[in-house]
Amino acid sequence: MSDKYIRAISADAVAPGGVKAVELDGKEIVVCNCGGKYYAVQRRCGHMNAPLDMGTLDGTYLTCAMHCAQFDVATGEALSGPVPPDFGGEIPPRLLGEYFQNVGMLMGRIRTESIRTYPTKLEAGWVLVAPQAGD
Amino acid sequence: MNTESRKKALHYFYEKVVGPLGFKFTPDAELREFLLEQEVILEGKHGVPFCPCQPLRHDRARDMQIVCPCIPFHRKHFDAIQRCWCGLFVHQDVTDPDKLPQLPPKEVGLE
Amino acid sequence: MKKVSMYTLSTCPWCRKTKKFFADHKVPFDYIDYDLADEATQRRIMQELDAAGASGFPFVKIADEVIVGYQPERYASALGLQGGAE
Repeated sequence: MSDKYIRAISADAVAPGGVKAVELDGKEIVVCNCGGKYYAVQRRCGHMNAPLDMGTLDGTYLTCAMHCAQFDVATGEALSGPVPPDFGGEIPPRLLGEYFQNVGMLMGRIRTESIRTYPTKLEAGWVLVAPQAGD
Repeated sequence: MNTESRKKALHYFYEKVVGPLGFKFTPDAELREFLLEQEVILEGKHGVPFCPCQPLRHDRARDMQIVCPCIPFHRKHFDAIQRCWCGLFVHQDVTDPDKLPQLPPKEVGLE
Repeated sequence: MKKVSMYTLSTCPWCRKTKKFFADHKVPFDYIDYDLADEATQRRIMQELDAAGASGFPFVKIADEVIVGYQPERYASALGLQGGAE
């Protein structure tokens, strides 16, 4: 497997605590700035593929915006799965309620997988990522 | 999912919350590890790390009040007994957590 | 011998210590682990806790006395035992 590094994004373009999406060699990747150390992981959440660049980063912990699954971007490990949503006490229209029940049933059968990490390095103010060396 | 990794993450998140509230993790390492492990189990089951020592009522609004760290929802009580109910957190100046009895609000002049 | 029964949680170390206290003192007791009980039992237990103004475990009943939280000295005192502390 090639570990050719490509310029992903300017280091300044990702603020500390920030997450930015890039596409390299056809792969959707997010670059995370954890207090000056940069990590790259797959863009798709290991739960239901939501874009992790919309998530929040705290230390090396990235929380997905869709259902709050959490990952450690340093290792790609899935740390916790989705948080059940709250729809309040309102009773939804019948069809909508049935839809939610069905979706809920299907979601209950999904595992939250760990996410792929990509090697990174800093060079001349750029974050370089090796998109073919994902693990 | 790896329990140790999850415990480490919970520890990281909790520390930031309880410090400004005047609490810290209990110096009783065995208790701390056991409670964090139970929380990881509860989180695996329910999606959220609930207190291992308080009942789930299956009422969202009330159950959210026992999501760890639940100190803000029981501030007066926990400040009075210098610990949270399950004992994962104690007041910052506590060195001997064994000396802190687990007293309900009624027995410390509350409710 | 006064009747001892309790509501506990399988995830709670203080509940374990409570059960151990009574076992070590050879006092028979009934218990229900709230988190492992069915919905109807859970509702019944919560009604009892609410009526007693309690919201935490362990919830111990020694005859008519209710003791909330792990309190070995009070268990000993309620049972007339020597040496309550662990």
